[in-house]
Amino acid sequence: MPGPFPGRVVRVHSEKSVGNSTHQVDAPTVREMLSRGMQSLTGAKTDRDAWATFFDPKDVVGIKLNCSGAPDICSAPDVVAGIAENLVALGIPAKNIYLYERFQDQVASVHYDRFVPAGVNIFAAETRRGSIGSYDPNTYVETNFFGEEDTRSNMIRLITERFTKIVNVPNMKDHGAAGVTGCLKNIAYGSFSNVARSHSGAKTNTLSFIGTLANVEPLRSRTVLQIMDGLRGVWHGGPFSTDARFRFYPKTMMFGTDPVAIDRLLLDIIENKRKAEGALSIWDRSMDHVRQGPLDPRYGAFIREPGHIEFAGKLGLGVYDLARIQTTSIEV
Amino acid sequence: MTLLLAAILPALASGPPAADAVKLETPNVEYRTNVASASTSPWIDANGWRILRQPARKYYYEVRPASVALAAAEAFVYGAHAKISTDTAGVGIFNRMLAFLGGLSDSNWPAMANIGVVDDGSDETGELMNMLSRRNLLYRIVKAPDPHLDLNVRIGSAQYPKSDAADPSVLAQKIRAELTDEKRLLRLYGSEVVIARLMGTGHGIRIHLLNYSNRPVTALRVRVLGSYPNAHIAAFDKPDLKVEDLTLSDGATEFTVPEMSAYAVVDLARQP
Repeated sequence: MPGPFPGRVVRVHSEKSVGNSTHQVDAPTVREMLSRGMQSLTGAKTDRDAWATFFDPKDVVGIKLNCSGAPDICSAPDVVAGIAENLVALGIPAKNIYLYERFQDQVASVHYDRFVPAGVNIFAAETRRGSIGSYDPNTYVETNFFGEEDTRSNMIRLITERFTKIVNVPNMKDHGAAGVTGCLKNIAYGSFSNVARSHSGAKTNTLSFIGTLANVEPLRSRTVLQIMDGLRGVWHGGPFSTDARFRFYPKTMMFGTDPVAIDRLLLDIIENKRKAEGALSIWDRSMDHVRQGPLDPRYGAFIREPGHIEFAGKLGLGVYDLARIQTTSIEV
Repeated sequence: MTLLLAAILPALASGPPAADAVKLETPNVEYRTNVASASTSPWIDANGWRILRQPARKYYYEVRPASVALAAAEAFVYGAHAKISTDTAGVGIFNRMLAFLGGLSDSNWPAMANIGVVDDGSDETGELMNMLSRRNLLYRIVKAPDPHLDLNVRIGSAQYPKSDAADPSVLAQKIRAELTDEKRLLRLYGSEVVIARLMGTGHGIRIHLLNYSNRPVTALRVRVLGSYPNAHIAAFDKPDLKVEDLTLSDGATEFTVPEMSAYAVVDLARQP
């Protein structure tokens, strides 16, 4: 990160990609969106050439899911299947493709196995919450936020020892602590253990921790492609999606190699939706608007930290300045 | 100097407890999710600090089978003269633990500590020792400040006034900050329900690991100061267990205990 296309984002929208009332994804449309997005990003004339820009048959590829809002809001199985199919078509054996996420219960609720090519691995780092057995004991960030005894966040071992490349597939979601959860939050907090400690109080450490984790090698250099699944989204209550009232349908996918640029666009998408719904701004920093209890768009459980994206930009992870972000919009 | 009396093994109670015996709490973890607290850590009911305070006393536990193994191991680790009362189902578990404890090699080594606690016998000091134990801030009870230790604590002193003791959790954090994590002889990662006791000399150390939950702990990462390339683990109910990912760096030894139930012992040595 930010890869070969810093500051470049391809937005593909299709009104028919998902039904507002049915919540169902139209698989052929999603495949077309994937194809158009990848070809536009890379300038390739065929899907094979587009994917070959990033991968070759010897790669072992991790596909970073987002399942915290599962089963209703997550990396859509049709999107994930499309990615896996393109990798297989390129000559990467299915056994060298891993869908990965941290929590087994969330991943299991989606049933990705019914969608992806046979042989693709589906991996969750924590079959039991809190267990660090699937993390690399030698690759970690150590910091003490509030006096917690366990001060380490370890990287998933598959990333350090097995994957040669990673595709990041976040959603378009509000996040009560981070402001939004997009590329950066998904790849950072989804690849390390013991991260929730950064938002244990109303004033969180997400501002710096998200970028800090995303910046750790080999995660940074192996994450070569960002495909944001914004077919369905969450404008309040994220990263979870327990209340259907707070879901919306951007019907958009964003493609790039620069997580900061994509997330910068996401900030406006979530903020504009919240404004339209009369919700608290993601930029609000008043403790008067922090309240625990049932979800209420006028309040938050934390002071949100949307500045984590600019912070990551300053670490060199991508381009934050809107004036320097080149966006290509495609309608399918 | 506090010594682990390895020869002291717990026994099953055959009748009512002696009149002068002190009842110990059932060792376990309480997950108080509906209670506001200073931290999100689970609450551990552990007795080590009580035993260390009065090592010559007689103790007894009244526990259900699920807690028998841990109670027996706890009594052993802290050298308690303890009897355990349980039901028929617990007897088999107790006997298995007793066989395990009896099979451990002797290591009549002193307890290792960073902190000296001057015990005035007060409830405040007792609660502080409880908090230090739960956070694996290794301490030793001393009669007067010991200059060989990194830090000495006497509640009521200018550095640790009695007002500090009103919140033992905050006081324990203060002590940790003053000690610094870098100087800690032992750190545990990956679990908040394991309490360790460290015994040893310059040439070798023994780490006792007590799991206070009723579930196995997996992938416990242990860090101890000092370079010990040779490790041997003995874990209750896990006869073939081996430590994993042992590394030596920055003057410390780290390794992973892949899985443990109530109790495990790791012996580290500089030489094979």
